[in-house]
Amino acid sequence: MKLIDANKLTALAAALARAGYRVVAPVEDSGVVRLKEWAEGAAIRTGAVPVNSAKDFLFPPSEIIGRWDLDGDDFMPRDVQPDAPKTVLLAVRPCDAAALALLDTVFNWDYKDDFYNARRQAVTVVPMVCTAADEQCFCTSVGGAPDATAGADAMLRPADGGTRFILEPLTDKGNALLDAAGLALAEGEAAADPPVEIARRFDVEAVTEWLSRNFESDLWPALSLACLGCGACAYACPTCHCFDIQDEATRRESVRLKNWDSCGFGLFTLHAGGHNPRPDQTARWRNRVMHKFSYIPERFALVGCTGCGRCARVCGAGMSMSEVCRLIADETKKAPTHES
Amino acid sequence: MSPDPDQAQAVQQPGGNLYAPITMTIAESRDETYDVRTLRLQFPGETERAAFFEKYRVGMFGLYGVPGAGESAFCIASPPTQDQYIECTFRKAGRVTTALCDREVGQAITFRGPYGNFFPIEQWKGKNIVFIAGGIALPPIRAVIWNVLDRRDEFGRLTIVYGARTVADLVYKHELQQWQKRKDVKLILTVDPGGETDDWKGEIGFVPMVLEKAAPSAENAVAVVCGPLIMIKFTLLPLKQLNFPDAHAYTTLENRMKCGVGKCGRCNVGSLYVCKDGPVFTIEQLKNLPQGDL
Amino acid sequence: MDVDRLRQDAAAVLADGRARMVIGFRDRAGDRVPAFITDAEQAGELLYDEACRQNLAAYLKKAELKRFRPVAIVARPAVMRSLVLLAAEAQVADEDVLVLGVSDDQEYHGILDLAATAALLNEKYAEMPHDPDLVKRIEEISAMTPEERSGFWTEQFARCTRCYACRAACPMCYCTQCIVEKNVPQWISTAAAGHGNYAWNIIRAFHLAGRCTECGACEAACPQGIPLMLLNVVLARDVEEEFGVKVGYDAEAEPVIGSWREDDNEDFIR
Repeated sequence: MKLIDANKLTALAAALARAGYRVVAPVEDSGVVRLKEWAEGAAIRTGAVPVNSAKDFLFPPSEIIGRWDLDGDDFMPRDVQPDAPKTVLLAVRPCDAAALALLDTVFNWDYKDDFYNARRQAVTVVPMVCTAADEQCFCTSVGGAPDATAGADAMLRPADGGTRFILEPLTDKGNALLDAAGLALAEGEAAADPPVEIARRFDVEAVTEWLSRNFESDLWPALSLACLGCGACAYACPTCHCFDIQDEATRRESVRLKNWDSCGFGLFTLHAGGHNPRPDQTARWRNRVMHKFSYIPERFALVGCTGCGRCARVCGAGMSMSEVCRLIADETKKAPTHES
Repeated sequence: MSPDPDQAQAVQQPGGNLYAPITMTIAESRDETYDVRTLRLQFPGETERAAFFEKYRVGMFGLYGVPGAGESAFCIASPPTQDQYIECTFRKAGRVTTALCDREVGQAITFRGPYGNFFPIEQWKGKNIVFIAGGIALPPIRAVIWNVLDRRDEFGRLTIVYGARTVADLVYKHELQQWQKRKDVKLILTVDPGGETDDWKGEIGFVPMVLEKAAPSAENAVAVVCGPLIMIKFTLLPLKQLNFPDAHAYTTLENRMKCGVGKCGRCNVGSLYVCKDGPVFTIEQLKNLPQGDL
Repeated sequence: MDVDRLRQDAAAVLADGRARMVIGFRDRAGDRVPAFITDAEQAGELLYDEACRQNLAAYLKKAELKRFRPVAIVARPAVMRSLVLLAAEAQVADEDVLVLGVSDDQEYHGILDLAATAALLNEKYAEMPHDPDLVKRIEEISAMTPEERSGFWTEQFARCTRCYACRAACPMCYCTQCIVEKNVPQWISTAAAGHGNYAWNIIRAFHLAGRCTECGACEAACPQGIPLMLLNVVLARDVEEEFGVKVGYDAEAEPVIGSWREDDNEDFIR
């Protein structure tokens, strides 16, 4: 098996960068661990779940999807190509990789979004098995696991008490990456450390079932009281994919941008005529929960949440998706269905 | 509710930019009211024109834009039977529609589409059709009306009930006159009380009440209702009293949209994307949607 | 701190109808998260310690909570100042709000109306020094060349994703339509990058000049760790020096940003 010492991850990153990969890895930046393009000298920080998710490198916060030269009242379209450098997502989390199934589906279920697809094809995904978790982690409640390999091209498995990693290829892309890593990896034997145990907090199927018949429920105002309506949760979420399309122009040029957006914002659904289907935070938060745990399961037979817990970690108002799901699941135990 | 299998299939060039519009030229520009305008748009070439009309069925929508201002979604207001151009009608309400209004004949705008599902008018052959519209919601119905009028022999009796707040708010006034003169169309116009002028010869009253009074027969008939949500809601009662089954009454929803192709996530009503599963819904479908999301 | 007294007072104001909701803090697996108590019997959930940093006055702008007024809000001095300032800006009336006052060193001040809150602030918290660590960093940044300073902020703002958590967390950001959402004309680029990020963060700071009570909630809410308080404190200090005003102590005071004087020391404004 291929091994690398735990303190040599930067050597692996350097080898991959030399081999032509853009290396994205968790690094500390102004006191916050985030996934960003690794640069020579930066330490790779595997101890904390990064504040951002891997989606940033497939569906960036802001992306140019159209460009025109302007000349007075005339405009001339210019060709726009996705910016999709060959990239490795190194030491991301299994909950990042698990989100790819949903993103792949949404951006391809009917029309195909080639901006997403070009980046997706250029990406090699190398998650790290989690041997630690915090209070916000709940992957096991939504069908995931700290050592899940869904969406992964290769896995980094902590081994021998965290002193080294086993790098295990799972796909052709993963094999190519191992080849590119070359001498940064050593051949040898090591015992994989057990993944962290994460207790299940709720029965996701019960949540989905409750949601299917409780669009109108007295519980929604209580579940959404703390939400102040920012986009922090959606932007940190590995599966949230809502976006806005906006033009930005100078006198000579206009670009059309695909910008992240969130169903938590009041303007998200506001009609030009003034009507807003979701006029308050209760309706907006309900949509967020419904989308992840009812609409996506109904439409795509997937769960719209990978249990990474980032939403709760970043929320300035103490909202927690896992707490909300647990309260909903409790509700199903309290009130056996009267219908049918 | 699952997506309609009859829905238009995705049409996209492999490897093409999903969001890249084509450039259309404004061939005509008409002011319908003080703030509503119709543009007639010419395709850049025969390839684009043919590709559009291969897909286009009445009820579908497009994204109209001006680089620098952005894109806005509204219906295609002309029928597929008039296949040399398309028309759109919109109210000047925000940044994009203001920029569209500022464009003059001979200038260009951007267009993407057609998107969404359509009115199943092939299933309406031989049937009577009752059109009910309020205010700025006539354009989608206008496309159906002309589609049916251009194939007049294939359909039964046509009744149109159209109302607006005031006489000044009625759109397509020139076409309303044409329809009024035709013997094969029954047109009933109404304005809200207080919205009439001295020489107003139509009805005075809200659309649902005027519909109730006109009492078109539901036998062998379908109804098409477009208007503000509140008008649609109040029209449901007279439709029921007239015995129109919910499955034979249609409407279109016009939620805020950005991508138009089922990605950007803002037009959903419950689990349905208005841009993909709609914008055309039967009243039966509408009633099954989560009402708090409308 | 005497949490029992806080709980007793919360229960009392709910029981006798002085408040229809108490907004305070509760524990969730070690995190301090807001608690919305409407039933006196649930007041035991409340707790308070130095980890309770959210500015709960921000909930006064939430439409769904208006029906629970009058609300009693657990407030430390910076939050009390937010409430007094909201009254000065006519966003809350005296009868809308009660304060369950707590000091920064965990002393409990009891149930206060806005007048008593202002009196307490003037009596005990008239001198609220700026955070000394922040002042030190501000001095370091002030000593930079303009190019270095611009480089510093460009790097900080590059991380902004435009999630607007700062705006949501701030009780003073109550505009029904924020300038960043106005697009006729488009004042601020919508792209989460470059000059748009710079413009957004600087304009927000300017809109809070003479309005920020230095509660720190915006910076705490920023997922990206952008040091927003460096901007806010500089502006608060400038307002103090230029206008002789420290905000949030007087519910009758005219807001600095919304008033002018004939003897203003800027020529252009006279």
